[in-house]
Amino acid sequence: MTTLDLTEATRRPFTGRRVRFGDVSLQVVAGTAAAAATVLVGLIVWKVIDGARPAIAHYGIAFVTRIAWNPVLGHEVYGAGSFLFGTAITSLFALLLAAPLAMGIALFLSELSPRWLRAPVTALVETLAAVPSVVIGLWGILVLGPALRTHIESWLHSGLGFIPLFGTPSPAGASIFTAIIVLTIMILPIVSSISRELFLGVPHELKEGALALGTTRWEMVKGVVFPYSRGGIAAALILGLGRALGEAIAVTQVIGGGVFIHWSIFDGGDTLASKIAASYQGSSTNLQTASLVYLALILLVFSLAANLSAQLIVRRVARKHGITRGGHA
Amino acid sequence: MPKSGHPIRTIAVLAAVAAVFAAVAVGAGAAPAKHAGTTISGAGSTFVQPLVSQWIAPLGSAYGYELQYSGVGSGAGVAAITARTVDFGASDAPLTPDQFTACNGCEQIPWALGATSIVYNLSGVKNLLHMDGPTLAQIFMGQITTWNDPAIAKLNPGVSLPSTKITIAHRSDNSGTTFNFTDYLSSVSPSWKSQIGSGVAVNWPVGSGGKGSSGLAAIVSQTPGAIGYVDIAYALHNHLSYFAMKNKSGKFATPGLRGMLSAAQTQVTPNADNSLSIVNPPAKFANAYPISTYTYVIVPLQTSKAADIKKFLFWAVTKGQTYGPKLLFEPLPTPVLVVAEKAIAKIHS
Repeated sequence: MTTLDLTEATRRPFTGRRVRFGDVSLQVVAGTAAAAATVLVGLIVWKVIDGARPAIAHYGIAFVTRIAWNPVLGHEVYGAGSFLFGTAITSLFALLLAAPLAMGIALFLSELSPRWLRAPVTALVETLAAVPSVVIGLWGILVLGPALRTHIESWLHSGLGFIPLFGTPSPAGASIFTAIIVLTIMILPIVSSISRELFLGVPHELKEGALALGTTRWEMVKGVVFPYSRGGIAAALILGLGRALGEAIAVTQVIGGGVFIHWSIFDGGDTLASKIAASYQGSSTNLQTASLVYLALILLVFSLAANLSAQLIVRRVARKHGITRGGHA
Repeated sequence: MPKSGHPIRTIAVLAAVAAVFAAVAVGAGAAPAKHAGTTISGAGSTFVQPLVSQWIAPLGSAYGYELQYSGVGSGAGVAAITARTVDFGASDAPLTPDQFTACNGCEQIPWALGATSIVYNLSGVKNLLHMDGPTLAQIFMGQITTWNDPAIAKLNPGVSLPSTKITIAHRSDNSGTTFNFTDYLSSVSPSWKSQIGSGVAVNWPVGSGGKGSSGLAAIVSQTPGAIGYVDIAYALHNHLSYFAMKNKSGKFATPGLRGMLSAAQTQVTPNADNSLSIVNPPAKFANAYPISTYTYVIVPLQTSKAADIKKFLFWAVTKGQTYGPKLLFEPLPTPVLVVAEKAIAKIHS
C-alpha cells in the first residue's frame, strides 16, 4: 500500500497539469460546500431572528415564560411558557424511557445475541429509524393512543394515581403521554445503533482480558464496555434529545393540544415544534406569525445548546477517559 | 490497469446521468404535448374539496383545463396563495386584515355554501339528537361534562342518555370550520363571545386537538362520548352521527340543503370584502340550519393567467354549482352570485 502510494506520488510531476486541475477543483468543490453550509446556517439564524423581531419588540423576554396563546382577534396574547414546559417534559421523559431500552438493545446485539440473530435484528431496529414520522404519528392516532388510554393509562392511574403525574386517563388517547411514547420509539433506533457501534468498537483484548480474569458478563459490561464508551453514549443520548426536541409532525398528531401547564402527563399539551407545525400556515395576524417565529428561535437556541453540550461532553469525557484508562491498565 | 479503468467508468457514469436527464427532459417536453390544456392549481379548505373534486372532469372536457386541488386546510390555502405557489386558494374563513395585506392585491369570492355539523359518538343512541346553541357552548366550555346532564336531557325527551363523560374534540390547525363553529358559538353565547371569541383557531378551554378534519374525526370515532365539528359532507361520508340544531324559531334543523338555503337569507348582500356571515339566523327563517357558512376562493387581482382563471371561476359559480346538491352544497343564491361574478370580472392580467 505505502510503496504504491509513493510511486504514485513520484509520478505526479510528469502529469502535473491534470493532477493540479483535479486538486484545484476538489479544493473549490469541497470549499464551496463547506462555505455554503456555514452561510446557510447563518442565513437561517438571521432570518429567524428577523422574522421574530416584531414579537420580540412587542413582548420582550417575558414572552419566553408567559403561559398564554390566544390568536382570536381582539384577545390576542402570545407566550412560550406552556410550549417550553411541553417540550421539556416530552423530551426528557422520552429520553429516560429510551436510554435503558437502547442500552439493552445495543448490548444484546453487540455482546449477547447468537450470531445468526444479529444481522436481522440490527436491520429491523434500523428500519424503525426509516419509518417516516408522519406514519408513526398516524399509527399513534389510530392504534397507540387508544391502546395506551384503555390499558396503560388507566392501570398507571389506578396504581400510582397518588402521584400527580398520573392523573385521570385522557379520554381521547391524545396526550402528552402518547407523545412521550411516540418520541421514545423515534429516538430509540438512533441511540441504540450508535451505542451498538460503540460497544462493538471496544477492543476485544479488553473484553477478553476481563473475562479471563474471571468476571461475569455483566461485570465485564459494567467494568469495561460502559466506561470505554461513556462519552459516545452521552453524545448519542443528546443526539436523541435533539431529535425529540425538534420532532413536529408526529407530536402534533398525538399530543392533543392545549395552552396550560398541569402535572398530569395524561392531559393534552403542545411542544414548541408541534405548535409551530400546527399554527404557522394561515396564521391570522402578523403578530401571531412573528410569535410563532419567536417560538422557532427559542427552539433553535435549545437545539444548538444541546448540540454544543454534546460536543463538550464528548471532548471532556474523551480527555478524562484517556487518563482513567491508563490508570486502570 | 486501474488508471485506465477510471476514465471509462467516469464516462459510463456521466453517460448514465446524461441519459437520465435526457429522459426527464423528453418526459417533461412530452407532457404539455399530451395535455394541450392549461393547468389551474389550487389549495386550501378541506370543506370544499369534495365539490372541487367533482369539477375536474367536466372542466377538462369543457375547456381542456386540468384542475389540480389539494385539500390542505383553509390556513394552508391562504398561505399558499399568499406565496403564489398556486393559482387560487380556498378558505372557509374570510381573510383577516393582516392576511389581506400579506396577500398583496388578493380578493375573496364566495363560491360555495355549506354547513358545519356537530358530530358525536354515542353507541346505542340514535342519529339526529337535539341540541341548542347555549347548551353546545356550555359543553365546549367544559361546564357540562356528562351526556345525561339535565340540559341535554331536556332537549331530548324520551331518549335515554348514558352517563358517559363528554370528550371534546377540536381542530389543532388553523381551520375555516373552526371559524364557522366559533362564529356560531359567539353569536349564541355572550360568555363564549367575551371569554373565547371566534377565529380559525381559538384558545379552547377544554378538549383534545386533532389535525385536519380527518384528525378530528379520528378522535370522535375512537372515543365513546366524544363530540366535535366537521362539515356535513365529511360527516355523512364517514357515517358519523350529528345533531339537529335548534334555530332561533325554536325548530330543530338538520344540516341539509333546505336549512342552508333558508340560513342564506340572513345576509343576501356581501360586505365590502365579499364576506358574509349567516350563522344563527333570525327567527323568521324557520327552516334555517344555524351553523351554515359560505366558503371562499382567494385569487390575486392581477395574474398572468387572468383569462383562464376568469373562465374557470365563472364556470365554478354557475355550472359548477349544479354539482353541489348531492354533496350537500347549496347552489349560490342569486344576489351572492351577482356579486361573485362582478368580483371575477375584476381579475386582470
